[in-house]
Amino acid sequence: MCTAAVPVKVCSINPEYEPEINSRKCQMTPFTKHLKLGVGVICGLAMCAGAAQAPQHIDIKQLTTTVEDVVVPLPNEIFGALNKLGAVNWKQHVRSDKGPNFTERPRIALLLGTVIADGFIAVQAEDAPTVKDIGQRVLALAKGIGVGNSITPHAKAIVEAADKRNWENVRQELDRTQNSVQQAMNEVHDEKLSQLVSLGGWLRGTEVLTSVVKEHFSSDGAELLHQPDLLSYFQTRLQNMPEFNVPIIRQIQDALGEVKPLIDVGDRRIPPDSVKKVNEITTRLGHGIVTRD
Amino acid sequence: MISMKSLAKLIFRTTPLLLALVALQPTIFASVDDAQSFALQAAEPYVKQGFQVREDYWGGDLASGEKKAVRQQLFKGNEYWFWLGTEVDKAKVSVHVYDSDGKLAEEPDGWEKGHFAAAHVIPKATGSYFIIVSVEESPEERTHWALVYGFR
Repeated sequence: MCTAAVPVKVCSINPEYEPEINSRKCQMTPFTKHLKLGVGVICGLAMCAGAAQAPQHIDIKQLTTTVEDVVVPLPNEIFGALNKLGAVNWKQHVRSDKGPNFTERPRIALLLGTVIADGFIAVQAEDAPTVKDIGQRVLALAKGIGVGNSITPHAKAIVEAADKRNWENVRQELDRTQNSVQQAMNEVHDEKLSQLVSLGGWLRGTEVLTSVVKEHFSSDGAELLHQPDLLSYFQTRLQNMPEFNVPIIRQIQDALGEVKPLIDVGDRRIPPDSVKKVNEITTRLGHGIVTRD
Repeated sequence: MISMKSLAKLIFRTTPLLLALVALQPTIFASVDDAQSFALQAAEPYVKQGFQVREDYWGGDLASGEKKAVRQQLFKGNEYWFWLGTEVDKAKVSVHVYDSDGKLAEEPDGWEKGHFAAAHVIPKATGSYFIIVSVEESPEERTHWALVYGFR
């Protein structure tokens, strides 16, 4: 938890600088708390303030050797970009089956990330009953991993917002849910489980992205798969989890090795075959995440 | 049992310390959370324009002239704003966005003022980008910063 006057060491972004000063996923301040503050002031500032001239070019090679971290996007960030390419039938991607109850914490963490991603899909489909089910499912999984207390208010808010069909609020609460889960895990030094939550969400998001693009292929849609640094980030994190001796973790690790050359294509376009292969791989992994060994 | 005299002595000795703590409180207890509050203030008007602001944020502290880079995956088709905040009065902070080739990738309507700085990106390609945050000037030895972002 990020307490006053105590900088939190959660994850270093750049070892060139002092890693202990970096903090990430500190205690969240509800965004709505700030909504009433100074909107006019900021509008005024934005209108009258300019930015100092920034260099047109910087030496990324020097930078890439020192930047370690990468920000994992939320599934709805990808879905938003996908939506702009054309109408997507989100209903066909909605998944509401509850799945088994795992006891292994890494499995619960992966599933939790997947279920939160399913929540974003249900929001895209504006499927209120499924969103409500997912709210309850997220709460049960969070309890199973020992962080239920931090999720209870969000689960309640998800259900309430779904009842009102206030999709923007549901999206915000799903984001808060994921953030609170990961924050709670980080507080008890379960950062690796927190990373598995992100990974579960990313895999489910990629499964749906490739499914949509596979059906109606476009180069712009396929380009959304161009995420080599994210993939490397997850590969590195999984390599540092030897203690999680569950088959699905190793399967994911191997599978990411298969996916990497398909999406790490530099300036070239990602062809339909690659999209299809990534879809097959992520669908297989998705099935593995929700199925008991 | 503590005697009245000892109690009075204790109060007499600790009161200046408590007063000093109260006086220094804003400095001692200023934190990345305060910087985040400023970053979120900068984001507020954009929410009304349809930007979804991520709950997650990144922060720390930097000396004057120091920079930090955050690598981020951005998607072509989305539009992003990054907002940087600090709680330190008279500090000057900046945020700029570069693509994976090191080319400045932001729109010209970014801004810097007071406790805030902001950068606007409409990615021309899906891929990794580098968000460079910097404390240009500050009266403090270390200046807290927090970065939030939104997309639509």
